Amino acid sequence: MKIHTSDPVAEPGAVAYHRCTVDLRSGEMVFADVPCRNLEDVLGGFGRSFQDLAKRQVTDAYSDENPLIVNTGLLTGSSVMTSLRTYFSGYSPLKASKKGLPAAMWSTGSGSFGAKLKWTGLDELVFENRSAQPVYVVIREGGNGPQVELKAATHLLGLSTHEKMMVLHKEYPEAHFASIGPAGEHWQTNRLGAVALSTENQLKSGEDKCRFAGRGGMGSLMGYKNILALVALSSDRLRPVSEAVKAVNLNVVRGGGSARIQPLHRGGGGGTWAAYDVLQAFHAVPYNNFRPAGNDLPRKLFRENVEPHYHIQSQACFRCGITCHNNISEKKADGGKGEFLAKFDYEPLNLLGTNIGIHDAGQAARLIQLGDNLGMDSISLGVTIAYVLAYNERHPATPLLNGATFGDYEKIRELVIQCGEGKLPEIGQGSMRLSESLGEPSYAYHVKGLELPAYQPETNPGYAWAIAGGHMSMGTYGLLTREGKSDVESWVKGITEDKLQIVGFDMIGLCKFFDIAKGIGTQMVVDCLKSEFGFEVSTEALCAAVRRGFLRGLALELRQGYTKAEYRLPAEVSENPNPHIRLPNITSPDFLDKLEKRVWEIFEPELAGILD
Amino acid sequence: MNIHVQLIGLFKTGRFDQKTLDVPEGIRVDEVIATLGLPRQLFGIVLINDLHAEPASQLREGDRLVLMPIVDGG
Repeated sequence: MKIHTSDPVAEPGAVAYHRCTVDLRSGEMVFADVPCRNLEDVLGGFGRSFQDLAKRQVTDAYSDENPLIVNTGLLTGSSVMTSLRTYFSGYSPLKASKKGLPAAMWSTGSGSFGAKLKWTGLDELVFENRSAQPVYVVIREGGNGPQVELKAATHLLGLSTHEKMMVLHKEYPEAHFASIGPAGEHWQTNRLGAVALSTENQLKSGEDKCRFAGRGGMGSLMGYKNILALVALSSDRLRPVSEAVKAVNLNVVRGGGSARIQPLHRGGGGGTWAAYDVLQAFHAVPYNNFRPAGNDLPRKLFRENVEPHYHIQSQACFRCGITCHNNISEKKADGGKGEFLAKFDYEPLNLLGTNIGIHDAGQAARLIQLGDNLGMDSISLGVTIAYVLAYNERHPATPLLNGATFGDYEKIRELVIQCGEGKLPEIGQGSMRLSESLGEPSYAYHVKGLELPAYQPETNPGYAWAIAGGHMSMGTYGLLTREGKSDVESWVKGITEDKLQIVGFDMIGLCKFFDIAKGIGTQMVVDCLKSEFGFEVSTEALCAAVRRGFLRGLALELRQGYTKAEYRLPAEVSENPNPHIRLPNITSPDFLDKLEKRVWEIFEPELAGILD
Repeated sequence: MNIHVQLIGLFKTGRFDQKTLDVPEGIRVDEVIATLGLPRQLFGIVLINDLHAEPASQLREGDRLVLMPIVDGG
């Protein structure tokens, strides 16, 4: 970034980001310093990419008109805690309106690739058209600025996400990587492709501990472009931590924002896995395709029931003080760590575990590991498989595919492998397309073509307005469960004011655990921007920029043909209310009608002209 | 007076799962939390007789109190 102002709100044009546009067909590359249009451009991530996507008319995700935009946030690669994010944006192969037009989408992950990319001196890569041959892309810092090179990648074909990185690591030992797996390579039959991002721990240990930008099939779009991997090669340019940032980092680590994510031995809640216990108290842990049965089976994947049999290690991303994740390995006879299996976060554990009838931690871990290595979004994969299993339960005489049913590990494993290898377009196309082709969409758990995360829709009508995935682009998933809000006005306020602010993290380069409840419109972020860039930005200006970014996403959905009728939860939720969920019913047709009316009354006037 | 207390998740560790406690009349939820030594920064959800309540809520004889850690993210 080139910065010539302390007031990026009044003078965004005095801030420029460095972009490289790569024509994959011709190999031509254009470098430019691009003046920012507004604060969203300055912040980066989807705040910038969605403005560029809005300029394009894209009717097919797999077309020359659809770019793949890879960028970072303003704070990516800074000394601020959690600043490791990379963003992948484009029109989604997976998320689409009923009219058939692809939705604009972004996906993000941590790992060390984003910081390395930022340190090459490049803020954004735009990939146009499609390479005729498989390539990987090397981005490196040079004496006269960043350099980008396309290299033949035939030798990487067919390798897993992790294997690709380890092969490239031998050639570029100082680099970090983003790669797709076989799923992304088979983009024609698999729209669930994720992009994996390398971690320090992974490259040092050789264990498959990637991070993932999973949502919306950005890995399939990368596969369509014929890009198998990105290599970011730069020296470490981490600046010394200022006193102001040090204070913020301490607050992040010790404060309410992330303390609950910390490991148990540090007095924390033990990561997102802890959600199992809480949601089970309400009988709201997704079970057998989002139909909790009021039984105790979800308890089998409680940490307390897994720990005696597996080695669990709390670990953090590189340089992050939030030790948010739990790595599961086989346990040796002496109690020591055996073979690494998978990272247990709430979403993949549930959606490739309890929600498909798998209650054995080892089996769930193996399915997560398979999905990761094949390079698929665990949410979309798990939910689409759950739909197949539910269909087979309803049609025992004429089941789909291999006839797998809930809990049949071997057959489910076969589905995951075949899907990842591009041999099962039925699952690879996602739950919306599959359910509509079968004429049974009511129990397909997606909204707007994107599969739901592992929070029951009965607890979150806000899913309807999420612009890039159910829980990470609309923070209402705890409004009923956690806050006990069951009146329409609280939900209107949540959706249209407070909870949409969660998407700010997907502009600025920080992980949501920085301060998941409050967003980026906080004094902590103001202090960091002042310290790192000399910016004078108010919390109000940050909130306003996030809101504009969110509304742009909503406007883009409508432009791509979504009707208001598509802003709805799966029909089964209202048509066949689940009697086992111990929470007030906020998904009756009457409640949803009132909510929809009030939310649109607020959003619609603000959408006019926002894409201009 | 007696109240029935259920602890969820990590709050059970080193304490109990469910228990009937003999507490002073008019005790508030936050006083029960303090008595049990539950970490405040992890505290998330209070249910009294299956309804969401606040730490400042007052308890009555026979109430069923459920205390849960916060739930976040995925």
